[in-house]
Amino acid sequence: MPSTDTTGRRGFLRSACRHCLGLAALAGLPAIAQDLSSIRVPPRFKRPAADTDEGGLWGLMDREETRLKRSPLTIQDKDLRAYLSDLVCRLSEGHCTDIRVHPVRVPRFNAMMAPNGMMLVWSGLMLRAENEAQLAAVLGHELGHYLERHQVEQLRAAKDRAVLSTMVGMVGGVGSVLGQIGLMADMFAFSREHEERADRMGMRLMRHAGYDGREAAAIWDNLLAELRITGGKDAGKRGDMFETHPTTAGRRDQLLQLAGDAGGITGADPYRKVIAPLRLGWLQDEVKRGQYEESLVLFDRMLAKQPGDSEVLYARGEVHRLRDEAGDLERALSDLDAASRAPKAPVETFRALGLVHKQRSDRAAAARAFETYLAQAPQAPDAAMVRSYLAELK
Amino acid sequence: MKKVLALLLALLLAACANVSRMDGEQVVNDRLAVHLTDAWNKVSDPWEVDPYDTWTQEGIPLDHLRLWGGVRPGQPLMTKPAVFSRAADAKDRRVPTFRVGLPPERLVSLFEELYATAGAVTVTRMEPAMFAGQKGVRFEFTLARRSDDLDMQGVGWVAVRQDATWGEELYAATFVAPRLSFYQRLLPMAEAVVKSARIRSNPARS
Repeated sequence: MPSTDTTGRRGFLRSACRHCLGLAALAGLPAIAQDLSSIRVPPRFKRPAADTDEGGLWGLMDREETRLKRSPLTIQDKDLRAYLSDLVCRLSEGHCTDIRVHPVRVPRFNAMMAPNGMMLVWSGLMLRAENEAQLAAVLGHELGHYLERHQVEQLRAAKDRAVLSTMVGMVGGVGSVLGQIGLMADMFAFSREHEERADRMGMRLMRHAGYDGREAAAIWDNLLAELRITGGKDAGKRGDMFETHPTTAGRRDQLLQLAGDAGGITGADPYRKVIAPLRLGWLQDEVKRGQYEESLVLFDRMLAKQPGDSEVLYARGEVHRLRDEAGDLERALSDLDAASRAPKAPVETFRALGLVHKQRSDRAAAARAFETYLAQAPQAPDAAMVRSYLAELK
Repeated sequence: MKKVLALLLALLLAACANVSRMDGEQVVNDRLAVHLTDAWNKVSDPWEVDPYDTWTQEGIPLDHLRLWGGVRPGQPLMTKPAVFSRAADAKDRRVPTFRVGLPPERLVSLFEELYATAGAVTVTRMEPAMFAGQKGVRFEFTLARRSDDLDMQGVGWVAVRQDATWGEELYAATFVAPRLSFYQRLLPMAEAVVKSARIRSNPARS
């Protein structure tokens, strides 16, 4: 961390409010791969007195949590909420009753945890996790920051009590003002030591709960592949724009070393089942980010794992249809056609298929697809538009 | 430290947006003329020149009417986000950009992507409509805004005009306000502006 007051405060502001898995989490960690048995989970925390620095921070986060509960972006799905709470309970070894998990509809990769026990999990992360173990790895890392009280340490490191009053009004919703286009929130302020400790605590928690620790390396690897699209080959090695983390490689290797080869649960099926009712919406949110190349890396990976997944085929078809560069219409047609043949194809597949056929001047095929769409979704928001296309085609 | 704070304060004040009162005949980007029966406030940010005009009744945190007048192919519909530090081989992020030959639903997708940078967007209606004397599309949407967790409602009109010089030009308007109370109350004023929209026939080319 740079040592000037302003940067320190800014760093704290960015961290305390949104304890993000920022790029620092990816910026290589020092090679101190220690035995996990030295990691101790502390006993439950007591609520600090309101007139202390920590008490003030809790109070502030309590207010944010109250607002978050009313936010239209908070995902209310009962099954998902119960599933996430249960997962965190299994990971957090006795801290369960102090932690509340809030899933939030933001199509970017992030999770964060506040010292008062509020944990946020963004839908972009849940879409990207391939199984329960990968999600457990990320949530375990966040729990690591919480259990080791990194946020509070940073508050004290800032040596500025006014920081709390400055934070009021700057927490600003569940998203961030900066970097609303990027895949990850462009902010973090944990030191490398904190990140490394959170990594080890996370690994300790996930292995103790019976998960395969190697999945922790997998989710970061997958994310890096997406970040490299715009970030270049060194994406993830560079830290925050205000900081100067040296470039070090090997985090993946360290995680693998910590994971050992004992194996464990991956939990792909229960995870797939619980996110199934929400996943199409998350895929559509991902497409609407308009970062087509990043989305294609994600969708290609998802389809490699599960070929013929009609929702992902539809989403990839949409990305190609919208990008519409050389060869994209044919790629869109291929995906959408395959999706439309699946028994549970999303109804939007037929609209997209009709639009691609129309653009390729295949009038009969376009009309057929549009008719199927209107038959399956007569109340669709764009029904009037599609009817006007049908009239043109005939 | 004090000097730094003074500098920061000066920068903060300098960054304040300008607000000017708009009424009568107004022209956006020399190309899109509107007639105002109600006065609007035009908000302009001297630090960030957006490719659209932003007007408001109650203030930007609440409602905005954005007007795009004559966007040319290859031009983005929004300001590109600032990048402060990047690797040599890093690429620019995509921003919704107008191009030639877009069918109506793809024009709507551009605005969907534009508002998706602010929150979760859902298009709730899309239908053929006239805008600025051109055949185009009208769409409605909801926006769960991240910056303040507000439930917003929006409506947009977009049309493309054939142009001898540029091939095509995009004209559009969007109006967004909190779903509760504000949207219904202010919508007629926004619609009045949109109904009056027409393209200037002999504009001064820049």
